[in-house]
Amino acid sequence: MKMRFVVVAVALMLCALGPAMAQDAPIITISTWAGVDEAAEFQEIIDEINANTTEYQIVHQPIPADYYTVVQTQLAAPGSGADMYWMDQNNMALKAEGVFMDLSACLANAEPGSAGDLSDYYPSILAVNEYEGGIYGLPWIAQPVVTYYNRALFEAAGLEEPTADWTWDDFMEYARALTLDTDGDGETDQWGFINNGWPPPYIFVWQAGGELINEDFTEAPIDSPEFLEGFEFYLSTAYNPEVSPSADIIAEQGFAEMFKAGRIAMFMGGAADDLDRVEGLDVGVVPVPAHPETGSQTTFAWNASTVINASSPLAQSNPDLLCDALIAITEGIHNWKIVSPRISQGTVEHLVASEPRKEASAEAIIAAAQDMRALPIFGNYAEFDSVFWSEFWGPLINKETDLTPAELAAEVRPELEETLQ
Amino acid sequence: MTTDPGALNTYLPTLIRYILVAIGVGVIMIIVYRVQIALGVKREAATGRALVTPWVIGFLVFNVFTIGTSLYLSFTEYNLFRPPEWIGLGNYQELFDVSFGTLESREQRSSDVLARRHSEIIRVEIGDGGFVFGARAASFWRSMRLTLVYAFVSVPLGLAGALGVALLLNQKVKGLGFWRVLYYMPAVLPAVATALLWRWMFSQSGIINTLTQPIWRLTTNEPPRWFTDANLALPAFVIIGLWGVFGANSVILLAGLKGIPQELYEAASIDGAGNWAKFRHVTIPMLSPALFYNLVTSTIAALQIFELAAFIQTPESVGTFVNWLIYQEAFTLRNMGMASAMAWILLLIILALTALIFRSSEFWVFYQGQREKA
Repeated sequence: MKMRFVVVAVALMLCALGPAMAQDAPIITISTWAGVDEAAEFQEIIDEINANTTEYQIVHQPIPADYYTVVQTQLAAPGSGADMYWMDQNNMALKAEGVFMDLSACLANAEPGSAGDLSDYYPSILAVNEYEGGIYGLPWIAQPVVTYYNRALFEAAGLEEPTADWTWDDFMEYARALTLDTDGDGETDQWGFINNGWPPPYIFVWQAGGELINEDFTEAPIDSPEFLEGFEFYLSTAYNPEVSPSADIIAEQGFAEMFKAGRIAMFMGGAADDLDRVEGLDVGVVPVPAHPETGSQTTFAWNASTVINASSPLAQSNPDLLCDALIAITEGIHNWKIVSPRISQGTVEHLVASEPRKEASAEAIIAAAQDMRALPIFGNYAEFDSVFWSEFWGPLINKETDLTPAELAAEVRPELEETLQ
Repeated sequence: MTTDPGALNTYLPTLIRYILVAIGVGVIMIIVYRVQIALGVKREAATGRALVTPWVIGFLVFNVFTIGTSLYLSFTEYNLFRPPEWIGLGNYQELFDVSFGTLESREQRSSDVLARRHSEIIRVEIGDGGFVFGARAASFWRSMRLTLVYAFVSVPLGLAGALGVALLLNQKVKGLGFWRVLYYMPAVLPAVATALLWRWMFSQSGIINTLTQPIWRLTTNEPPRWFTDANLALPAFVIIGLWGVFGANSVILLAGLKGIPQELYEAASIDGAGNWAKFRHVTIPMLSPALFYNLVTSTIAALQIFELAAFIQTPESVGTFVNWLIYQEAFTLRNMGMASAMAWILLLIILALTALIFRSSEFWVFYQGQREKA
């Protein structure tokens, strides 16, 4: 009886192992946060890569919910999880923890003009992936913040549409003029702008010449006059009844939903957002307004990369194979997602080829991409960001402090700099 | 050419590991059994112990080990990827870095009287002055305040409501089965669905504001903003909490009511007791063990609330529920050490409150067998 049980168990295991043994090409797994639709589009890219190689087969393992909690626990348990992951800019801070494979060696011989050619990436975006001389991820998107505006509301108010060279002053003038009580019931029901912590303040801080963190990551000069000028302008656009709805109204009616419902005239969003193809809404796109004196039109770029799990068995045994697969995947994504983080692909033609629905906005997006800048990501960025939000940005934008931005900046700066050490 | 190697190939290593773990546990069970037999333990007892071995292994690995590890981690700085760095009481010192200040006028800023880098937790204005409590880890104490107040308000209300429902469900009325199912329904609904449903109902143009329109129109033209108004967030959470506990607790209380001997009511009637006297002197004492059980489990559940906080955002000044804050500290900020310290403070508070309830039980919980022995 016992013998029979053992024979059956062994036979079952051999049956299970059979297909795996028959598979010649190594399987490379990639985990992403993609939901159903995005995963289906990504699968098309993977299918094409798999069809053109016999060296490996890529398998997509999406984790659409609670992505970073799952990924962190997988990365913390060496040898588990996928071979590759998508990482957004904030989580690229893990590059300092030794959990991503250094790509320097395998990218050194990458074909010029390919996705592995590091000289073709926007330097600020690539910097997010660099750490102590190494390169830990290949960027696949750099999405600049642009301004979406509702043409009908501008026309109804008798205003000219914003132009690419507009300034903060023009922006505030428009925002005030477009904040209206349209039905005459004594309550504002249309606003010129909307800000609930998004867009990020860095846009205006950078334009004014301020910096969140200095170049060598030793100081957080948030009390500099330039930083404060940009930050105070930012605050004047948030929860200010003259130009934007209150936190309560936004929480109630939804953030982007208010723009889509035609209640907000101007909205700063990512270049890939669908705000310019809302049914029944005629939406124009321009770059963010420029600083009135410096003329800077620097904008924030949300970016993400693909990394290789340093502890995956393939990273130990065949890193070059993983690197080849990474380049192939990244190449595919650069022709899918907008905006590509590669300088050579920063053209209207490439953008429209990747996303035909963005044809009307393509020129403004490409113009914004030339001025985009990424956050300065370092190993302890999560803690830095938490202190910056909870001690400075949050209390000021939510009006939970009775200190002025300058007073609070002087108080919070040492705490921020503690996190840099 | 097929491009997907198939789920079986992808997950085969995991399947094999599962099988190996099962075989390993089986071997340990056999060893446990054989060792006991060799030591002269009776066959029945040896079988029993061998059969509980998988559970004991699971308890040791997934409970005892993890609880012990979290205690150790609470004395460290640990971000998941680097070895934990021992910092002694550092995390606890940061959490208990609190300050107190006296306000000389209502206009005085809290930051003027609190320690540097401390934020306000509670501000009380009395006459022209007042006082203010602050802390460095203000978000933790604000969240602790919200969680404790929520528990203190929602648990007694929930128990009273559940008792009322149980009494109603204990009546001989038509369609009793239907009513029982109806009242128990909230207890089996997923907490996430419940949270989303209530969030929609409490929205500014939601069904609750629409139905109560005549009431708030009498006082103010503004419909209540339940989750964004610091004064209304707690009542809203309490209402949501009550909805769920009515059903679950009512079933236990109903079972308790069914177990009360009918003779006690008959004897009370013979003695001339009215309905209130029977309820006060028969129902409540006889039901007190079930009430006690519900009180303990409801208190623990209220202090560990998680889903509501995850799906319903609250203003910074209100704080959030502690369990959600711990989760964010651990997995968003990767401060596993600090998150562990927060978890241990919450655990100690839960233990203290549970101990208090247990100590109080000798004054109000009636165990029939115990009294009869005395």
